[in-house]
Amino acid sequence: MKRFLLILLTLALAISVTACGTSNEKTLTEPEPIANEESKEATSSEAQKEEEGLKTVINKPVEIEFWHAMSGGHEEALTKITEDFNASNEYIKVKLVNQGGYGDLSQKLMAAAKAKQLPAMSQAYEDWITEYLNNNLVTDLTPYINDPKYGWSEDELNDIVEVFRQANQWDGKYYGLPFNKSTRILFYNTDLLAEKNIEVPTTWEELRAAAEKITVEKDGKKIVGMGFENAFVHEFSTWAYQAGGSFVDEQSLEVKFNSAEGKEALGFVNGMIQDGVARLAGEDGYMSGPFGRGDVAMYIGSSAGIPYVAKAAEGNIHWSATVLPAGKKAATPFAGTNVTVFNSASDEEKLAAWQYIKFLINKENTAYWAEKTGYLPVRYSALNSDSWKAYVEANPVYGVGEKQFDAGFYDPRVIGMNAVKNAMAKELEAVLLGQKTVDEGIEAAAKEAQDALLKANKK
Amino acid sequence: MNVHPTLKSTLKALLYLSPALMIIGVFNIYPIIKSFAMSFYSDYDYFNDVVYERGLDNFIYIMKDADFWLAMKNTFIFVIGVVPLSIIISLGIALLLNTNIYLRGFFRTIFFIPFVTSVVAVSIVWRWVFHTDYGLLNYFLGFFGVDPISWLTDPAWAMPSLIILSVWKGLGYNIIIFLAGLQNINKQYYLAAKVDGATAFYRFIHITIPLLSPTTFFISIVSIINSFKVFDEVFALFDRRPGPVNSALTVVYYIFDKFYVEWEFGIASAAAYVLFIVIFLFTLIQLYIGKRNVHY
Repeated sequence: MKRFLLILLTLALAISVTACGTSNEKTLTEPEPIANEESKEATSSEAQKEEEGLKTVINKPVEIEFWHAMSGGHEEALTKITEDFNASNEYIKVKLVNQGGYGDLSQKLMAAAKAKQLPAMSQAYEDWITEYLNNNLVTDLTPYINDPKYGWSEDELNDIVEVFRQANQWDGKYYGLPFNKSTRILFYNTDLLAEKNIEVPTTWEELRAAAEKITVEKDGKKIVGMGFENAFVHEFSTWAYQAGGSFVDEQSLEVKFNSAEGKEALGFVNGMIQDGVARLAGEDGYMSGPFGRGDVAMYIGSSAGIPYVAKAAEGNIHWSATVLPAGKKAATPFAGTNVTVFNSASDEEKLAAWQYIKFLINKENTAYWAEKTGYLPVRYSALNSDSWKAYVEANPVYGVGEKQFDAGFYDPRVIGMNAVKNAMAKELEAVLLGQKTVDEGIEAAAKEAQDALLKANKK
Repeated sequence: MNVHPTLKSTLKALLYLSPALMIIGVFNIYPIIKSFAMSFYSDYDYFNDVVYERGLDNFIYIMKDADFWLAMKNTFIFVIGVVPLSIIISLGIALLLNTNIYLRGFFRTIFFIPFVTSVVAVSIVWRWVFHTDYGLLNYFLGFFGVDPISWLTDPAWAMPSLIILSVWKGLGYNIIIFLAGLQNINKQYYLAAKVDGATAFYRFIHITIPLLSPTTFFISIVSIINSFKVFDEVFALFDRRPGPVNSALTVVYYIFDKFYVEWEFGIASAAAYVLFIVIFLFTLIQLYIGKRNVHY
């Protein structure tokens, strides 16, 4: 009998432990699901009655999560803006959740979407949003933007840099808004360039000539003229556009870099690497490390790397940055992410997220963000403000990005971009490591990219 | 004890087993069944769990996919590289630790540390060790006149680097198991052999190896299964990439990439099943060999 009781007790314990586990998890990640559900129904039926404007009102505390991939100084700046927002709002509280790198963020969002545990909002690249939109996971922000009470005026909307507005519209509707946008810039070591009496390169030819001149081996230490970030697949489109070619057509889903221009682009970069006047970041992960040590004299990287370069260079080298050298054309990608709001959030949470986005990218905050991180201000008003101009005057490297707005492009927002990049990465790498010729590499990359693109879009 | 199974005793057993069964059911059995089903979904809305079409497309795709075969090849090279090396080295160290050497406890701890340290932390240190210009390994090789090797960025050296890391990381576990096995061997045998004049080498060949065979058998099965499933080491050592030009792309990495990065859920499941079958076959072969050669 005693033993039987013991068994019962153990069983009861086991069940209660597992039960606690599940219920805890729910309350943690899904705040007040029942209350939200009710209010959602109430508001949506209200919204049907009157069609103009949002009827959602926030009159009780709402806490939303914002998943991001910002670390270091970037995260500190984001935290500061968010704390300001929380302090100025009676009911809305935004909780920042750092999910690691962009890859981790993407993977966690996918898993969360499956588990119906998505946060209210997240950072997302354009091609992620396309994928989310295809699975009906993201919210159309247009009604919020146009809302007479909560929205923006025409001027406020048009104040956002045009290319960023375009990149966030799908069939004329906004599913995201620009947050941390960067361009590529050319970092250079002023000491090394001055030593060889070299002007800052503005064209491909000058870049190559400068790299050749600087590359030396002295006292057992090797200095390489030019550096490229590791994942060349993310850089390739820039070179292809600069050569006058094109990359992937968003509308027709055609892979277009298998051209004379595409081959010229890869050939140029590959030539520098094979001749030893350029190198990839390799084991160093990011180019800011070897550049800061003085192992590499110039490199092309994201403007968001400015604080990292500054840190690595401190006490070692003197450096500056400038616009990318141009080939036949000038071209620089707009990288970095946007903020998007998920469908699974309640109406209150969506409105809270919208209020936060408005704050996050208002004139003052987008300028503050840019000053701290090296990302670009996303509003013309911020770019033209006296305080930003004064800042750029004092810190010229921060002003490089905006000089390239006219040459900016963004990557095609197609479904299956990850598969395309995976397929391309392997082939491009094989070329840069000398395993394949440029022609072979481009042809194989284009073929595999096209197959991957068609496969992903077949569904 | 001679107790006949009754309904009551069976229920009791189930009751005792239920906590473990629940956990295994949720985290092992259910995913096994689900991924088996998913491997046949050729058109699938993952987020809403709607299947539009079933078929063998996923299996056909991976059979035609050069990357999948590359992943298989790499995985086999990895298994062949890691398992024998790891067993030989750890047996050697276990034999040394089994003798009366100075600071024995200290060395046992030292060898076990890599096993309990997180793969990511270990990989960061090894990334530095493997660094072409500033790495320790190339520094030491430099004393012997070896030119710097690009351990992590040269496709030819990526797999050896991965194998070195994995052997080093797995040593501790194998050593502990071998030590336990060695201590189970009755000292009488050794004494008897000594009386008969057997040398240390003969004692090792004719006593240690046969009597250690159940342990060796266990370690080889576990090591082979674990090596087939290698993923974390690749992910961390090559900084979230499958090595230069996919030179360290393993099957589990392939599955991960298809599932989490490319959102090809059916293909990932199909690849997982093929891997499962391969491991299953290898384990069967080992069991067959084991039956004939293991002395209990």
